[in-house]
Amino acid sequence: MSKWIPLWLHKLGSPPTFYRFARTVRPWAMGLALLFGVIGLYGGLVLAPPDYQQGDAYRIIFIHVPSAWMSMFVYAMMGVSGFVALVWRIKLAEVVAMESAPIGAAFTFITLVTGSLWGKPMWGTWWTWDARLTSELVLLFLYLGVIGLYHAFEDRRQGARAASFLAIIGIINVPIVHYSVDWWNTLHQGTTVNLFGHSKMPWEMLWPLLAMTLATKFYYAASLCRRAGTDILALEGGKDWVREIAQAEAGR
Amino acid sequence: MSAPLPQACAAMLRRDLTLAWRRRGDLAMPVLYAVIVAVLFPFALGPDLALLQRIAGGVVLVTVLLAMLLALDGMFASDIEDGSLEQLVLAPQPLALMLGMKILAHWITTALPLLVIAPLLAGMLHLPLPAMPALLLALLLATPLLSLLGAVLVALTAGTRRSGMLLALMLLPLCVPVVIFAAGAVAAAQEGLPWFAPVAWLSAALVLAVVLSPLACAAALRIALDA
Amino acid sequence: MIALSHFLAMGGYAAYVWPAYAVFFAVLVTDNVAPRLRRRRILRELRERLARQSARARRPPSKP
Repeated sequence: MSKWIPLWLHKLGSPPTFYRFARTVRPWAMGLALLFGVIGLYGGLVLAPPDYQQGDAYRIIFIHVPSAWMSMFVYAMMGVSGFVALVWRIKLAEVVAMESAPIGAAFTFITLVTGSLWGKPMWGTWWTWDARLTSELVLLFLYLGVIGLYHAFEDRRQGARAASFLAIIGIINVPIVHYSVDWWNTLHQGTTVNLFGHSKMPWEMLWPLLAMTLATKFYYAASLCRRAGTDILALEGGKDWVREIAQAEAGR
Repeated sequence: MSAPLPQACAAMLRRDLTLAWRRRGDLAMPVLYAVIVAVLFPFALGPDLALLQRIAGGVVLVTVLLAMLLALDGMFASDIEDGSLEQLVLAPQPLALMLGMKILAHWITTALPLLVIAPLLAGMLHLPLPAMPALLLALLLATPLLSLLGAVLVALTAGTRRSGMLLALMLLPLCVPVVIFAAGAVAAAQEGLPWFAPVAWLSAALVLAVVLSPLACAAALRIALDA
Repeated sequence: MIALSHFLAMGGYAAYVWPAYAVFFAVLVTDNVAPRLRRRRILRELRERLARQSARARRPPSKP
């Protein structure tokens, strides 16, 4: 047993095995994402009662908060696999780190836009220089920097390693930005916005939120499988097993 | 046979300063840029004294930062072109220390002239005199910090086609805290509040960066040049 | 019918809630379609390369 798991992980590290694994996992992950998404959206948009303060506007929470969590979760995943890629030079870790970046950037973008759409009716402004919002914006710039650096290199594996290094620097940077903007806000004493006025959420609002959180997690797994599989095909273009796939899909 | 460390460091510094001196026209570029930007602000906002006084510290800080960004791109450029950076990577002396010397030389040649004209720019924007020491001290701490942070990013892009835009995108998240604390010190001094805390934070960050940044820079360069 | 229009009105916040959901789905659909297109392009280019190689292999080496 103790030997079996490392062996399986080792095998998974080989591109053809991972490709097949990703192809098998993806439909399941996508199915679960859709299932939890439908349940969560039905619960959030239809079943949950309107908020006593915010009316129906609070329903943006069911996509805003899961996206915000995902924007940080995906960054952590990117940092960890980037670290693995730098230390052990595993090709698959490079692929996972670099293919996570666009998904994370997408979730960060969603968070910023939905937060701004939520902020307009609630605080009367699209944007405020609060620590949370500024950190999220900085996170988007970090994602864009990582993607940009990755594509600036001619050699893709070298680009992946350089961008992984940048991602790790970013992990240190985000808490510093959060802290310094907090300090800055107390200095300027601007409009202090209480983002989450009531922390105790009734159960009928909480369970759709949890369902949506699960949905976004599964969505990330599915999207990562698709992206990583595609990227492996591009990296391994000269190998026989990729040629077979190319010929098999010629008719389609 | 390798030279002892202090001599190697001195030779590195002397070489970079000599090279910079031979192209002193390039050195004037960031200074000229900062002057132009600072001069344009009053024209754009009007010569209202109170308004200019309020924004002077921030404008000078951002101007100096942008001028440094302009020069950052060229930190290792000529060394990559003539291959001396690869020689440096292979040299027996510790790479981090040598890169630290290069960063120091770069700071002396680009940031020091900016520091000299910063009081002039601040004076043109009517920064109140009591805030001037805070501004100078903040700049004195913030500019080496930016050089050190920028050097890591420049090293990361060493193997790529030159792209200043990418460098700016990568530097923005890193320089947000630096700008906040530097501008915070100036703002606090202007309002007559104690401005020791932000300066202390900047100094702490600078000490950390002096130790860590050359090491990170060396690691980044090894990644970017490893073919 | 009234229930549906009541639902779509979102208590007067329809102008904020629905665009937020539209952005959410638009971005995720884009994130899904982009790798599909990339995969198709990669495989097509690979097939073209293979076709060129086999054509070159079949042709006898000719003198320039």
